[in-house]
Amino acid sequence: MTVTLTGSAARAVPSQGTAPRPRPRRRVAPYLFVLPALLLFAVFKLYPIGRSFVISLHKTVGGTERFVGADNYVRLLHDPLFWTALKNTAVILVVQVPVMLALATGLAVALNSTLLRGRAVFRLGFFLPMVTGLVAYGIIFSVLLNKDYGLVNWVLGLAGLDSVPWLTDPLWAKVSLGLALTWHYTGYNAVILLARLQSVPAELYDAAAVDGAGAWTSFRHVTLPGLRPALLLTTVLSTIGTLQIFDEPFVLTGGGPDNATLTIGVYLYQNAFKYFDFGYASAIAYALAVLIGILGVIQFRFLGEKS
Amino acid sequence: MELERRRVLQMGGAIAAGAGLTGLTACSGTGGTGATGQGGSAGEKDKGKIAVWSWQGPAAEMKALVPEFNKKYPGIEVTVEDIGNPAIWDKITTGLAAGGQGLADVLHIGVDYLPGYVEKFPGGLADLGPLGANAHRDAFAQGMWQTVSPDGKRVNALPWEANSAGFYYRADLFEKAGVDAGALQTWEETIEAGKEIKAKTGAHLLGIDKPASQADAANFFQMLLQLQGAFYFSLSGDITLDSPEAVKAMTLIKTMNDAGLVSDLAGGWNALMSSLKQGTAAVLPMPTWFGGIIQEQVPEEAGKWKVRLPPAVRRGGSTAATVNSTHLAVAGSSKHQAAAWSFVEFVLTRPASQVQIYKGKGIAPALMAAYDDAVFHEPSPFFGGQKKGEVFLEALKAPSSAFNYTADYARALKLVTDAQSKVLLGGADPAKVLKDAADQLAQQTGRKVSR
Repeated sequence: MTVTLTGSAARAVPSQGTAPRPRPRRRVAPYLFVLPALLLFAVFKLYPIGRSFVISLHKTVGGTERFVGADNYVRLLHDPLFWTALKNTAVILVVQVPVMLALATGLAVALNSTLLRGRAVFRLGFFLPMVTGLVAYGIIFSVLLNKDYGLVNWVLGLAGLDSVPWLTDPLWAKVSLGLALTWHYTGYNAVILLARLQSVPAELYDAAAVDGAGAWTSFRHVTLPGLRPALLLTTVLSTIGTLQIFDEPFVLTGGGPDNATLTIGVYLYQNAFKYFDFGYASAIAYALAVLIGILGVIQFRFLGEKS
Repeated sequence: MELERRRVLQMGGAIAAGAGLTGLTACSGTGGTGATGQGGSAGEKDKGKIAVWSWQGPAAEMKALVPEFNKKYPGIEVTVEDIGNPAIWDKITTGLAAGGQGLADVLHIGVDYLPGYVEKFPGGLADLGPLGANAHRDAFAQGMWQTVSPDGKRVNALPWEANSAGFYYRADLFEKAGVDAGALQTWEETIEAGKEIKAKTGAHLLGIDKPASQADAANFFQMLLQLQGAFYFSLSGDITLDSPEAVKAMTLIKTMNDAGLVSDLAGGWNALMSSLKQGTAAVLPMPTWFGGIIQEQVPEEAGKWKVRLPPAVRRGGSTAATVNSTHLAVAGSSKHQAAAWSFVEFVLTRPASQVQIYKGKGIAPALMAAYDDAVFHEPSPFFGGQKKGEVFLEALKAPSSAFNYTADYARALKLVTDAQSKVLLGGADPAKVLKDAADQLAQQTGRKVSR
């Protein structure tokens, strides 16, 4: 009998203690609404993820795909270039991400300060790099950092310093990459942190002030704990982003010189689109996904809320 | 408990985000299965709508030929697209990997990519033999047919440009230093001349993209190899990256660099162009087509430039080598293969087309009959009244080796440029870096190293 009731009719009847609970089948509409998204997800995410795993077990020999089992993965373990890429990516992760997040936190606190005039302008200014087109930003950095004609070296020259081989020396190329990444993503992270910061109740600061806490103490005991969820989010996002990093090294250095800025993403790209080795590239992608998964789990464990 | 579940979901999200990247390869990574080659039917020879993919100069020249083509084939509508180089390689790769989806009908392909496309995507390019290509087998410069039809049966493309190694030099700088450029027999002598030039004029001998910021940073190394008839692979496909010829070539480069004769062209093309405009190098060891670029970039230096074939690597060795070539292929997925072939044939096998292209951009044809035209035998005012066309024609006619690029050329090239960077930036030992590169290439490709 209840089957024929429409949702609104059912709701019009005040629920009695004995009235049957609405059956799940009546909740078809929500599923219909999410169906398009689910379908798209299945076609453009789930299928490629699955298909790419299948490809990672194959190798193209003489034009035909041959099943090779775990060969591509074994090859990965013995490939010095993969380890170089992994090491380079790890260096960026360990050095650049903490520096950037510290900077972003500082920026967020500064941008939140009522002492600052024209805050909106600053916020916009710091967020703008995020929306800059990759190619434009890549070209601007290559022009800025050019050894012989770059603006940065010109300024260094004015200060009486030697010109720096920003993009052509293995060590400096890593530094340049870090600088470009920091410029690009700090504002983005600062905006996330800022949003969280604004939800920290002002009363907490007042209470801390009443208790005689200085700026540093209230930062440590009020701001930082308040920022914790946002810090977790930005850390995890930055970790995932860094592990997948491709655009900057691709545009700025092409992974060079001598693989000093080769990242896993660039190596994957080279194998797929330069060497047409799709099986191996897929294996790299899976290794990367597993790595991201593991790091994600570790970060949640160490930074997540304590229940 | 609820928190636990949420956390698991969050972690799942992190993993999924990571796995998202796999879509990159998955979307386009069907390998050889997709491109069937039977996808397109030949269609009609004089009817249809075809698209052509090329880059900058060649695209412009083909576009200019379309009105004339349409006089002969009014039923074929041709659209020539300038995809840009190197963007075109990614675009063709993804198209082939997607089973020919979205590819143009006619594709302009360099010798460095052709074997890879043919091997990794069987049927991705149409066999031009049945369409009539074999009739032109003997029309092209030596070795060209072997490049487009390695087994002598399937014809994967038709040759267009045949670029010979050249030696463009600033005659005024050589004169100022008191060196007779025409008399240089070997690269060793050239290095000595370079020292004189550096001392007297301050100009470097030549420039190399030392950190290998672009894939073509090893062009000079490769040219030194090819002048010796050697390459990265033997004709049977074994790795010869650390052959005595390769070590010799890399040692020459190291000697030049250690003597301070090599300027850094980090940044690739733009750096090369600004070096050209500023006159920082006395020699540009570039192939045929580069003459047109020099003329275009520094027209005011007319008369200061000259060209000759490069000195030999060893005394008495060859001074001629075809260092690269480009080709027109027809996509296997094209529905108008016959019409596409009509266009390819019109552009590449008709001397008049090739002469017009040479006049426009200085692009050297592989079609030998084209060289009968007077334009290849005229003195060039820019190159001090030299008959530039004849210089390169001499190279094309000289006996030269065929080179096996193989499907693994891109990998080999990457390892070579890395090795070269190690030598130029860190002073590494040529023999050692080349041995390491050869071993690594063997590990990556499963090919044997020939020692």
